[in-house]
Amino acid sequence: MDNEVYSFALKNTLNEIQNICPDIKNSFMFKDDGEIIAGDENTPEKVVVRVIDSFDGILEKADAIGGIEGITLEGNKGRVNISCMNDLYLVTVTSRKADMNYINTVTHVLIPTILKLLEKIHPAPLKSNQPQPEIETETASDEELEEEEETPFKETLAEEPEEDPETETLLPELPVNQLIIENLGGLLVPSDTVRIDSDLLSQWEEISGSMKIEEVEVETFDGKTSRCKVKPIKDSKYEGKGIIRMPEKIQLNLEIEKGELIRVKPAVD
Amino acid sequence: MGKKKKIVQEVTVMTEPLAVEESSVNDLRGCLLEIKEYDGVIGYILRNSTSAAIDLKDPTKVIDYAILSSSSLDASEVLSKDFNLGTVKSIIVDGKDVKMLSLTVSENRISVFMDKKANCEKIQKKLHSF
Repeated sequence: MDNEVYSFALKNTLNEIQNICPDIKNSFMFKDDGEIIAGDENTPEKVVVRVIDSFDGILEKADAIGGIEGITLEGNKGRVNISCMNDLYLVTVTSRKADMNYINTVTHVLIPTILKLLEKIHPAPLKSNQPQPEIETETASDEELEEEEETPFKETLAEEPEEDPETETLLPELPVNQLIIENLGGLLVPSDTVRIDSDLLSQWEEISGSMKIEEVEVETFDGKTSRCKVKPIKDSKYEGKGIIRMPEKIQLNLEIEKGELIRVKPAVD
Repeated sequence: MGKKKKIVQEVTVMTEPLAVEESSVNDLRGCLLEIKEYDGVIGYILRNSTSAAIDLKDPTKVIDYAILSSSSLDASEVLSKDFNLGTVKSIIVDGKDVKMLSLTVSENRISVFMDKKANCEKIQKKLHSF
């Protein structure tokens, strides 16, 4: 899923770069393990695969020259440039007369900027999907005292957490929200329960036909998922901020931590 | 007798181009030896269908550099074909420590290894003059 978001953003970036630099005939990006990240509309995938394969030998022996920074191939009809950016390789094919300074300036500014932006939006980028372990649900009694006093539930109007329409494909009929992780601890806090905004819970209940949402499915951008019980946030200071409060145990199991983004959707059987 | 004469003629015909080829390879070797003295040049690999010459300052890198050289020239052929780039003039692999310039002169596949700051264009021009 996370790779799809990356690919979508990078594919659009490559197409836009081609719009402003018409001398670029083809462009695509791949990882050093050969995985294609994104490609423009003009380049067939089989060509991309063949080109990446042809670079295997160079990339395998790249250590001998201290790692690859770039490769330039000059032909009498055109040029190919391969630049290494954030562990990714950007391939651009240009015409012979292309202004390489201009093209390099555009690509070397835009691509790293987009990658940085994506890194911020999706803190766990471009990692291969791993097996998705299920979290054992057990109630712990040895948690520390809760960090803050629990206040009575308030029906206040709160800001809705930002929704990313691109990611709403896990379950088309139910919404998927991206929330920021906040720690949840305390003596009487069950380790299998997360807390989210009451407004968000109400929205979900409305969408699911007034069904009470008691569990949610959380998914990291690494593809790890877990089903947890859910309750509304009681502390008003966390309300309306797009936050999911999560016990440390769940965070450890999902290999995530406070401040990271996570996808959350209601779990309805 | 007539048969013997014919054989002699055939041998003569066969040896002439070989001698030309050999002298051209020798010229190329001479040129590469000259290039090796340029500032920042680490060494070179010259290969054709019948012989190979490797001259590198660090002999422990021979295998890695040979694979790099051969892979880059093979890759250049694939790229040229797939993207219709015409005749490949050169392929430069910029490493963080070392730069490699590879090109083909006639049937000879050449790779020159140099420091990052070495003058690659000067070398390229010299080799293309062949």
